[in-house]
Amino acid sequence: MADHNTPTPGGNRPPNKMMLSRTFVLLIVCGVAAFIVLLGQLYQIQIRKHDLYEAAAIEQQVRETALDSGRGTIYDRNHKILAMSATVDTIYISPAEIIMYQEDPVLISKTLSQILGVEYARIMEMTSDTKSWYKTVARKVEQDVSDRVREFKNEYNLKGVKIETDSKRYYPYSSLASHVVGFVGFENNGLAGVELSMNSQLTGTAGRVVRAKNAYGTDMLYTKYEDFYDAEDGYNVTLTIDTTVQYYLEKNLRQAVEDYGVRNGAAAIAMDVNTGELLGLVSLDNFDSNHYQSVSEKVQAQIEETEDETVRSTLLSNAQHNQWHNKAVEDMYEPGSTFKPITIAMALEEGVVTKDSQFYCGGVFAVPGDTDEGRHCWKRAGHGMQTLQQSLQHSCNVALIQIAQLVGAEKFYEYVDAFGFNSKTGIELSGEAGSLWWSDSVFLDPYNQTQLAAASFGQTFNITPLQLVRAMSCVVNGGYLMQPYLVKEVTDAAGNTITKNEPTVVRQVLSEETSATMREMLESVVGDMVEGTGKNAYVAGYRVGGKTGTSTNTVKEASTGQKEYIVSFIGVAPANDPKICILVLLDNPDANCGTAVSGGAMGAPTVGNMMSDILPYLGVEADYSDHDLKTMDRSVPNLVNLSVAQAQQILKAQNLSSRVIGQGDTVTMQLPSPNLTVAAQSQVVLFAGGEPSEELEEVPDLSYLTYDVARQRLGYLALFISSENNYISNPARAVITKQSIEPGTMVEHGTVIKVSMTTNDESTNART
Amino acid sequence: MDYSENRIADYTADPTISRGSIDVPFLLLTLLLLTVGVVMVLSASFARAYYSESTHHSATYFFSRQLFFAISGVAIMIVASRFPIGFYRRFSGVILLFALVMLLLVLVGGVKANGARRWFSIGSITFQPSEIAKIGVILFDAQLICRFKGKMGTFKYGVLPFGIVAALVIGLLILEPHLSASIIIILITATMMFIGGTRLLWFLFGGGVVAMGGLLAVSLLHYSSERITAWRDPFADTSDTGYQIIQSLYAIGSGGLSGLGLGNSRQKYLYLPEEHNDFIFSVVCEELGFIGAGLILILFALLICRGFWLAMHCRDRYSFLVCSGVTALLAFQVILNVAVVTNLIPCTGISLPFFSYGGTALWLQLAEMGVILSISREIPEKKFFRERSAVKPKQAPKEAGI
Repeated sequence: MADHNTPTPGGNRPPNKMMLSRTFVLLIVCGVAAFIVLLGQLYQIQIRKHDLYEAAAIEQQVRETALDSGRGTIYDRNHKILAMSATVDTIYISPAEIIMYQEDPVLISKTLSQILGVEYARIMEMTSDTKSWYKTVARKVEQDVSDRVREFKNEYNLKGVKIETDSKRYYPYSSLASHVVGFVGFENNGLAGVELSMNSQLTGTAGRVVRAKNAYGTDMLYTKYEDFYDAEDGYNVTLTIDTTVQYYLEKNLRQAVEDYGVRNGAAAIAMDVNTGELLGLVSLDNFDSNHYQSVSEKVQAQIEETEDETVRSTLLSNAQHNQWHNKAVEDMYEPGSTFKPITIAMALEEGVVTKDSQFYCGGVFAVPGDTDEGRHCWKRAGHGMQTLQQSLQHSCNVALIQIAQLVGAEKFYEYVDAFGFNSKTGIELSGEAGSLWWSDSVFLDPYNQTQLAAASFGQTFNITPLQLVRAMSCVVNGGYLMQPYLVKEVTDAAGNTITKNEPTVVRQVLSEETSATMREMLESVVGDMVEGTGKNAYVAGYRVGGKTGTSTNTVKEASTGQKEYIVSFIGVAPANDPKICILVLLDNPDANCGTAVSGGAMGAPTVGNMMSDILPYLGVEADYSDHDLKTMDRSVPNLVNLSVAQAQQILKAQNLSSRVIGQGDTVTMQLPSPNLTVAAQSQVVLFAGGEPSEELEEVPDLSYLTYDVARQRLGYLALFISSENNYISNPARAVITKQSIEPGTMVEHGTVIKVSMTTNDESTNART
Repeated sequence: MDYSENRIADYTADPTISRGSIDVPFLLLTLLLLTVGVVMVLSASFARAYYSESTHHSATYFFSRQLFFAISGVAIMIVASRFPIGFYRRFSGVILLFALVMLLLVLVGGVKANGARRWFSIGSITFQPSEIAKIGVILFDAQLICRFKGKMGTFKYGVLPFGIVAALVIGLLILEPHLSASIIIILITATMMFIGGTRLLWFLFGGGVVAMGGLLAVSLLHYSSERITAWRDPFADTSDTGYQIIQSLYAIGSGGLSGLGLGNSRQKYLYLPEEHNDFIFSVVCEELGFIGAGLILILFALLICRGFWLAMHCRDRYSFLVCSGVTALLAFQVILNVAVVTNLIPCTGISLPFFSYGGTALWLQLAEMGVILSISREIPEKKFFRERSAVKPKQAPKEAGI
């Protein structure tokens, strides 16, 4: 190392030329060239690919908090709110921050448990997951509750407790029209009904708050990087549904389900025949859209009887799907006799029959292809010779087969297409079913007309209830097949129209003339108090037309071997200028309910009740026939302080009789009280100085009495009678099925007992 | 040892060459880069420091330490600039020997981190012997070149001794293992031989050997082959290395033309690993944009050019060699670091001089600058032309300096 102690002489030499030039090369390479390359690369990354990298970086750097866009409101046609959103809060905790800021997990768990009703142990468990920044404690908490959480958070300045704005869907009418309105899931996405089918319009564009976050997921320090993107509220949807109509449909359908022990659910559809607007659509069982997962108490009780946990959850899930299932749209069925008007309409339109055509029914009829004696009419004895109208009134299968034969299988199928039975209606609901028909080769076989024969009275094919309503509307509205629709208008938050649905004629199937004839004939089915199979749908003052239907559930029968009936009635009113078409369908009523399992005995009165509620609401003026005026219930006038003679005169004019008690000239008191509704010919008791006895009377059993007999029997007891829904169907033949006050109850004199009646004869009870 | 001024004067390479003032442009460039570097450490590190348990959530933890090292480092630089080059030349062998011993010791007593033993830890201060090895190789190689003079063209003198020195150092570095330091050693050895006059043919040969060795190393050492994959397609690579590169590219790309503004990096919020260390330049790019980052690169380029320029103006061969070598070392570190963060080359852990956090490394870098400044004193006229004949009378040492 001695060399190192003193500089070597060579060290004094300057670098030689080669060294200098090589250093210069180094200078150029390391000091210039390399940096040009580096700058070039920087240019590539920072300028050329800036957008790419920045976008990717921002994606990881920001946390987006969705601002609820305010889901649109769903209105009925009269602007009543069916579904609306309101702001709620979601409470969550950040265990990582609880640890970081040394907050007390016990205090937090305890207080939150108290306020939110969430189990203390569950919250404690959440706090123990100290790596987590987000643990939801309670979702969709109402404002007043979240305010208490906010207070608690501020009091202790807790960073680990967080409140996030969310929104919740409210359905003010609960279960009303629940299958139409549907429901939304946790994330406010439509899962059923219009909520689902119109989801994109209702949703709007969610707004965002974009905040910078660090790689741990919390806000960046000091960096106020925040961006707001305004939420664009969803559009409001106005439906064609009328909540009042819907209510009447549901009320009466529910009543029918209860009265007739209907086991497989029921459906009702009300459509404006001239526009195709759906005014109401019910499927039972239904559900409360606010709590769409809860099943009815009855079903819940049944489920809870089961011990096994897994069986229970299966039962629950089945029950849920059952109640969410929309029978009116998602089910296919055999329409049975309700299809007969369609067959007759096509025959009339084709000119192969006229109103005056006559058909003979001997009770049985064979067509080419039949191997046995042929097809029976529901009336084994046969209807004999009948006009076209009578064939429909009687719902005579034999006549219908002959009519279909006149039309011919080919034309028949053309009309099936024309009436829209081969295409979905395109209603704004998801899951709409289609239809099921014989293939052309089978149906059009001239040597085997059994399919045509069965189809003529609505058997061996499947359609949806909605398809039938559409076709029936077409039959009575002048022959125009309308596009049924549920959504009337889509508007933005400011009320501007985005889209508006107008009535759309798909095609004209029938002439005005045929349609007019059909209206007459359909009215006769209901209006004919002797032969009409649909007379139970009669509504005093209104001209209701319609057709009964009773069919077997062929699918069920094939799988279980049990005969289950679907009874139905399709009605239109007013028959002279139809406005509304209502179909009621009851799946598998109880044969032991006391009423005959038939469209005429069960379906017709249900539609009749609906019509009597809905027609006045729709503003259809009642036009009472003389018969109606004589027989219908009436209001008792106020006769007190009038002279007895005067009172008697007034009562007589009102088709009420009277009995006078006491010797006075002036009426001091009357039974029943003024303005109560009672049956025609009721005997009003007038007190002229006399006093009514304080005694109570025992209500007699009125079952199976006619209205007149019941009135007379009650009259002896100074009790009175009136009919439910002010509907009177051939009082001479209708019998009482229900009374508002149980037999044996002690009541005061002058009490009015309301009764329900049905005509119970061969025609109404026919399974046709 | 006696460091009195008279003794120092004795070590002056050439007594006839006066000790002038230090090179002001070089000094200013160094101080400018250092200042920006320290500021960038503050900006880049505070998020990590704030969130980190080991720093007690003190946002200025890294910054305050770096500031201390920077200030003390400047003092070290000034002191180093006062020692004449002869001093360094005299101790070049000792320094190299010291480095070799330390490299040996670190294998035994070093701190193990990430599967490698590269660090000594004394209290809260850590240092890497490899840093000393780098300057040691430069000083010693320069010494060898001065001795071999005209024989540099031969294999025996021009290649073999340098190869042995490099092999010794690299052999110990591989044991740590420390790939990036090995690469630097190879590069500076090659540089010293190149300017020392080794025949270019050997470089072709050596390049081949290094390439072969590199390939071998890549296939043998799993961790480096992973880096190669990450380099060729960082987005397909889900390993940590791929993640580092992607995060670095996000940061640089986000900067755009003018950057997000000083202190506004978003990638430093724990996304970018080593954000105040090897990847600090990514934060620079993100915050200061293409303009700011480009300016800093230009400052580095100017410093490097000035270093070489100073070397070329040395009238003493040893000074020339050391000045070139140290400048080249600086250049390699800067270029390699920036090339890594911009994904030009596979990822290796090379820090950015004056910017990357690290106390002892900064001390050494500044000391190396001090050596160049010391050499710059011997250049009488800091002009862009050479005056080889200009010989000025010797001045008293105490009037010299800044």
